[in-house]
Amino acid sequence: MSKTMSKSHNVSEAESCIHGAANRSSRRSERRRADVEDPFGRALEYFSQVKAGTPVKGNDALENNLVLVERVALGRGLPPGAVATLLDFALSLRLGSSVCSRVLKFLIPASAVPQDSVVRGVSWFCMGKMPVSAQILFLRWILTMFDLIDSKDQLRSIYGFIFSFVTDEVLSPYVCHLLYLLTTKEHVQPFRVRKLLEVQAKMGRQPPLTQLLALYKVLCPEMIAISMPSKTRGGFKNHNLPWKTALAAVLKKNKTAEAPSPPLSLDIKEKASTRKRKKLHHLEVPQLSCGPEIESSRGKAVHLQQLRSFAQLLQNLDNIELPAQMGSLLSSSLALHYLDCVHDESALLRLNFWLGSVLHEEFLFCSRDGNPENSTEPSQFLDMLISTQDFLQECFSSSEFFLFKFLAMWDGSLHQPQILSLLSDIPPLPVSRMKMFLFEPLQQLYFTSSVFFKCGVIECLRSMLWKWLTWHFVQTSHKELDVSLSSSRTMNLHMSEFLELVTELVQYVGRLASAGLQLENYHILLHHQTLNFYELVCDVYLKFNLPLFLLPPSGVIFPSLLATDPVTVDRLGYVIFRYRQNLMSAKEHKQQKKEPSFHISRDVFREFNLLMVAVVSCLWISKDCQVDVGTDVHKALVPLRTMLSYCKNYNLIHHPAFLNYAIEFHQKCWPEQTNVDLSSIQGKKYWYWYLEFLFSQGFDGLKDFIQNNMDHQSTPVGGH
Amino acid sequence: MMEGRSAMESPVTRLPTRRRTKSYGRSCFEASSRFAYTSGQLTILRIPTTREAPRARNIAERVDPEQVTLLIKNEWKLSYVTPLYRFRHTHLKKYSKHLSAFIAAEKQQGTAVEVGLETGYRVTFSTVLGIAETDEDAETVFIQIQSKPMFAATGDALKVVWSGWLTCVNGSPEYLHSLLPDFVSLPLFCSSGPENITVVVKSWFEKMFDCRFGSLGLDSTSLQWLCALWTGCHPDNNIRYLRLLWTLPTQPPLDVSYTVNPQDAWELWNSVRQEDSVDGTVGIDEVKHFMAGLESHFFRHFKIYLSSGTLRKVSTALGSAQQDGKVKILCSDYLATVLTLLTECAILKMPI
Repeated sequence: MSKTMSKSHNVSEAESCIHGAANRSSRRSERRRADVEDPFGRALEYFSQVKAGTPVKGNDALENNLVLVERVALGRGLPPGAVATLLDFALSLRLGSSVCSRVLKFLIPASAVPQDSVVRGVSWFCMGKMPVSAQILFLRWILTMFDLIDSKDQLRSIYGFIFSFVTDEVLSPYVCHLLYLLTTKEHVQPFRVRKLLEVQAKMGRQPPLTQLLALYKVLCPEMIAISMPSKTRGGFKNHNLPWKTALAAVLKKNKTAEAPSPPLSLDIKEKASTRKRKKLHHLEVPQLSCGPEIESSRGKAVHLQQLRSFAQLLQNLDNIELPAQMGSLLSSSLALHYLDCVHDESALLRLNFWLGSVLHEEFLFCSRDGNPENSTEPSQFLDMLISTQDFLQECFSSSEFFLFKFLAMWDGSLHQPQILSLLSDIPPLPVSRMKMFLFEPLQQLYFTSSVFFKCGVIECLRSMLWKWLTWHFVQTSHKELDVSLSSSRTMNLHMSEFLELVTELVQYVGRLASAGLQLENYHILLHHQTLNFYELVCDVYLKFNLPLFLLPPSGVIFPSLLATDPVTVDRLGYVIFRYRQNLMSAKEHKQQKKEPSFHISRDVFREFNLLMVAVVSCLWISKDCQVDVGTDVHKALVPLRTMLSYCKNYNLIHHPAFLNYAIEFHQKCWPEQTNVDLSSIQGKKYWYWYLEFLFSQGFDGLKDFIQNNMDHQSTPVGGH
Repeated sequence: MMEGRSAMESPVTRLPTRRRTKSYGRSCFEASSRFAYTSGQLTILRIPTTREAPRARNIAERVDPEQVTLLIKNEWKLSYVTPLYRFRHTHLKKYSKHLSAFIAAEKQQGTAVEVGLETGYRVTFSTVLGIAETDEDAETVFIQIQSKPMFAATGDALKVVWSGWLTCVNGSPEYLHSLLPDFVSLPLFCSSGPENITVVVKSWFEKMFDCRFGSLGLDSTSLQWLCALWTGCHPDNNIRYLRLLWTLPTQPPLDVSYTVNPQDAWELWNSVRQEDSVDGTVGIDEVKHFMAGLESHFFRHFKIYLSSGTLRKVSTALGSAQQDGKVKILCSDYLATVLTLLTECAILKMPI
C-alpha cells in the first residue's frame, strides 16, 4: 500500500553522492592508469552498442562486461543512465532471454529509475516477443522499483496498454498490482469495471483482482459494490525477493546522513480479533472510504485514503474530500492531521454523532448482549479516544456529554484510568454547569473510594487545570498579537468567567484535599498529589499570566508542614516560595503599570503573611508562637491547633521529618559524644552549618524558601 | 440502565443541556465561541408529562391505504438512528440500486458486483406521504427487499423477504431545528425480516449517510403510556382485551400475565381521568394512577405487588408493545399517537 513515498527530495543528494563516489574512483584510476578509460563506462557502451545476433556462448567480452556491471550494481547500485541502458539492452532481447533475465536480476538502481526507460520497457513488453518468464520478471522488477521511478505521469498515460494484460491468466496478478499502484480516478471507467468483473467471473476471486476492484470502488463507489470478507489475506504478495536484500543494502549504503522525516503512513490501527464482530461492531472505527457520488463533486477532489504521506496531505489540503464516515478519521494519524484542519460544522457534527453513539451504546446502554467479560476492547477504544484528544488538544463535545452522563452512574472503578484521563480533557465551562455535572458527582465518588482513587481524582483535576491555563495563555498571547480581532470588552467578560471557574476549581480541590487527607490519615501519596496540584496553582501568575492568587487551605498547609516525611515539608517550602515570588512580582507590576483592572485583594497579602508567619515560626523560631491560624481552620482540625502550640518542637531540628538529619548532623559534628543534645545545634554557627547540611541533602524547596524569606543575620530565637 | 429510570423519578433526562453546533473546533481563532453558551444553544429535552389523548382518525384519507397495510401488518423491531447526512428523498431510485448491489456483494463476500445490474435481490425505496404530522417531520421512507427465487419462472412473483421503514412523527421541534440543514432526522427505524439482512441494511445506511443505529427498547413508563392511551380508545374502537405481562424478580423469575376485561379497564381509566384534563390531554399522573389501580386490584386477589416487577409487554386489539422494542400496530387509526411516542423515545436516545 504505502509504496509511493516521495523520495524526490533526497534523490538529488543521493545522486550527487554517487557521482562523487564515481568521481573519486575515477580519479584514483586516472592516477594509476592514465591511459585507460573508466571500465564501467566502457561496459555500458558495449551494452548499448552490441548488435543483435552476437553469439553469447564463448563471448568473453560480454561475460567480462556483465560481471563488471553486476559487481558495480550489487556494490553501490547503478546510476539512472546505466539503468536505462541496461534495461533497454535486456528487454530488447538482443542477446536472448537468458541474458535478459540475468541482467534484470542484478538491475539495482542506486537512486532513481528514469521513467522513460520503464515506458520503453513496457513497449518492449507489449511487443509480445518476450517469453512469459521474462515478462513476469520485468513486472516484478517494476513493482519492486516502483517507489524509485522518478515520476509516474507517463506510466499513467499508458494505463490502457497495461490494463489490456489483465485478462492474461499468468500475468494478471502482477498486472493488477501494477495497476493498483497507478490507478487514479480518471482511470476508473465503466468498460474497465466490466472487464474486471468478467475476469473475476472467469478466474474467481483472486486477491490481487479483488484489491484492484476494491480500489476502484474506493474511487468510484457508484459503479461497483464489493465487500471484503472479514479475514482478508494480504492482497498482494511481495514480488521483490530477488532484489530485496541487494536493494536494501545499496539504499542503506547510499543513504545520506540526513535522515528523512519518518513516514506518516495511513497506519490503520490493528483491529482486535474479528470474532463476534457482529455483536461488538459498535466499537469498530469505520474504514476510510468516500461517499457515493450521487451529487457531482468537484473535479479535482482527492480522497484521504489515497494519500500516503504528510507531504501529499499538505499539497492536496484544499482538495481533500471528506470521507463517507467521519468516524473513520480517527483510524489513522494522517487523517487526524487533516481533522485538525476541518472547519466544516456538519462534518464535525457527523463525527460527534458517531462518537457519541459509540460511547453511549457501549458504556451507557450496555448493549453488549451479555458478554461483559471482554473489557480490553472498550479500554482500547477509550485509549484511542484519549490519544486522539491529546493530539487535537481538545475534547469532542460528544465525549464531554457522554462523560457527564456517565459520571452519574459510574462506580469509580470501571476503566478508571481512562475515564479520569478523559475527564481532564473537559474544556472550561460555566461554573454552574461544571458544578452540576462534574464537581458534584465526582465528589461523591471521591469520598467513597480508596486513597488511590482520590489521588487519581486530584491528578485528573490538576491536569485539567493545567490544560485550561495553557489554553488561556495561548488565547491571551494570541490576543496580544492581533488586537484588532476582538474587542477587549468581550475578553474581559470571558476573562471574569474564566477566573471564576479557576477559582471554583481550586477551592473545590482544596476542599477535597483537606477532607481527603484527614479521611486517609494523611496518606503520603495523597499529600504529594495535593502538593503537585498546588505547585501548579502557586505559579499561575508568573507562568500563565493569570492574576489569581489562591492559597491552599489550612487543611492542606498544616498537615504538610507537620508531616513526618521531609519531602512533603520540602515541597511545601517550594510552594510557599513560589507564592511569594508570584505575589512580589504582581506587586511590582502593579506599582509600575498602575493598571486599574489589575487588582489584588489586600486579603490575599494578609492571608499569605499569616501563612508565612505560621510556617516561619514553626520551622525557624523555636519559641511558642502566637499564630493566629485564622478562622478557616476547620473544627475537625482542632488537634492541629493544639499541636501548633507545641510548635517549638517543630523547628528544623526537632521536626519529626528532620530529626533523623539533626541526629546525623550531630554525630558528624560531635562524633565522640554519645549523649545527643540537639539543642547544641541551635548555636549560630552550628545552625547555619546545619542548614547547609540540610540543603546538601537535596531539599531545594526548603533552601529556596529559607534563603528568600530569612534575613541571613537572624538567628533562631532561643539560640545561644 | 438508563431505561430503568422512570419519568417520575427524573422528569428531565440526565443531561438536560445540549450543545448542538459548536463541537470540536479550532478555538484559537474563535476565542469567544468556547465560552459563549448563549441560552439559545442550550435546549432541554424533556420527557413530556402530558400527551394529547388519542383521537381516532381515518388515516386512509391522508395516506395511500396500500402503504398503510404494509405498516400495520408486521411486528416491527425498533431501533433509533442518528440523523442521516445528505439523505435526499429525491434519490430513492439510486439508493434502491445501490442497496441491492450492496446486499449482493455482502452475500458473496469478496466478489465485486456492478451497481445497477440485476441481482438476486430487488430493493424498493418509497416515500410514505402523509405520515408526518408537522412541517418539520421528514417524510417516512419505506424499504422493501424482495428476492428472486433461483429457479423461478419469469412470471413468478417476487417474494418479500425484508421490510423496514424510517420515520419521524411529531419530533421535538427544538431538536429538529437545531440540526444543520445537511441532516435529515428520521430517528425511528422499524425493521421486520431476517436479522442478517437487517444488519446489512443498517451497515449500508451507516456507510451512505454517516449515521449509526442502536436498538431501542421501551421502558416501563413508555409501556404504561401505551397501555393507558390504548385503553382510552376503547369507546371508539373496541380494544377487546388489555393484556399485561410482568416479570417479577423472584428466583426463578415469575412471569405474570394479567388480562383485563376491556370494559373494566376503560371504567378504571375513566375514573382516574381528572376533571380539568378533559381538553384532550392525558397527564402522567393519570397514567400512574391507572397503573396503580390495576396493580392494587391484582394485589387484592393474589397478594403480589406487581410494582416490584418490570412491565414487559402490553397488548390490546389495537396493538402490542414489548420491553425489548418489538411493536405491532394493528389499527391504523391511532398510528400517529403510537409513532409520536416511539419517535420521542428514539430522540431521547440521541447522543448529542
